Amino acid sequence: MRERALKAYAWACERTGVDTAWTALMARKIPEAKGWVGLLYTLGSATMAIFTVQAVTGFLLATNYVPSPDHAYDSVRYIDASVLFGRVVRGLHHWGASFMVVFAVLHMLRVYFMGSYKYPREATWMAGVGLLLLVLGFSFTGYLLPWDQKAYWATVVGTTIAGQTPVVGSMLADVLRGSDGMGAPTLTRFYALHVLLLPALTGGLIAVHLYLVIWHGISEPPKKAAKKAP
Amino acid sequence: MSEPGCGCAGKGCSEKTPENPGRRAFLTRATVALGGLIAAALTATGAGYFVSPAFQRREEDWVDLGRSGDFKAGAPSLVEFTQRRRDAWVTSERRSSAWVVTSDGKSFTAFDPRCTHLGCPYRWDAGSARFVCPCHTAVFGPDGKVISGPPPRPLDEYETKVAAGRLMILPKAQKA
Repeated sequence: MRERALKAYAWACERTGVDTAWTALMARKIPEAKGWVGLLYTLGSATMAIFTVQAVTGFLLATNYVPSPDHAYDSVRYIDASVLFGRVVRGLHHWGASFMVVFAVLHMLRVYFMGSYKYPREATWMAGVGLLLLVLGFSFTGYLLPWDQKAYWATVVGTTIAGQTPVVGSMLADVLRGSDGMGAPTLTRFYALHVLLLPALTGGLIAVHLYLVIWHGISEPPKKAAKKAP
Repeated sequence: MSEPGCGCAGKGCSEKTPENPGRRAFLTRATVALGGLIAAALTATGAGYFVSPAFQRREEDWVDLGRSGDFKAGAPSLVEFTQRRRDAWVTSERRSSAWVVTSDGKSFTAFDPRCTHLGCPYRWDAGSARFVCPCHTAVFGPDGKVISGPPPRPLDEYETKVAAGRLMILPKAQKA
């Protein structure tokens, strides 16, 4: 059994170079950080893990969700009441959405306070800021989908805020809503953004972000500044 | 750190450091075990959600036709009803009817109101005590059996049951 597994591994390894990939991605050198400081370095991975959960639960929810005003609320209730593990899957997606924002922001605070964004890692920081904006985009578009009172009025508020932009405001609000005021086109528009455009952009930007993280290597925790001579 | 090379599985090559033999190996194993447990729980939940239609029985749309005592033995009665069908999150209503026959007021038979030949609505002929179809002169007995004419099979029956004194039927066409 073990012989066979090793043989299969050697076969795949020679043809794909997974060993080099493993060394570059997983067995790379990281700075020494002890105790709680070390924990701070896991925030990016935590965000990434939640994103994976969101992607999987999001796909599962989409199998039973209809982005139409006459069925959206009923289909969400159907998931909660009638589908096996429906409440768990929706709960994971609901709470994951909040924790995604929390962890992305905590990760950003870690990077900021340790000065990890500084030369030569500015591009990593910019990609990260883009990712945070995408996460907020997910939150805004996803919040409407249950189509209950809270969802509806939150989106009225959100799109009205966009409408206060000088000069192009009312056009901007109409583009967001997909019509002159809230309606069925708003729901389909937010759904399309939430499940098609934003995931594609996020996937691409995560690839850039991770490539840069690995290419640069992890930044060291800042050293205590030497005391100035009196 | 592990060295590249296909003879070695990348990880697990030089996990022991002189000062801490086995610590790295233990942490690796603990991480894999805990991570695997979490991943397994999430995967099981998602897989259960996705394959649940295979184990879900569709709800049956029984229709209440009224008090069973109101149906008297003798002449069959044509009962109109509204059937509410639930298809996951979609509910639709359908107007339909059924011929209800009883010989003793206890056991009931409900017939699809369409002739089994070409679907014409048939009627009850009280004089001959038979169901008669106007389209091609088909004749059925009160038990639904074909007496004469072109129909290929007896009248289609709906499932019936009496629950709490109410006559319930399950209207869906089935081959008798």
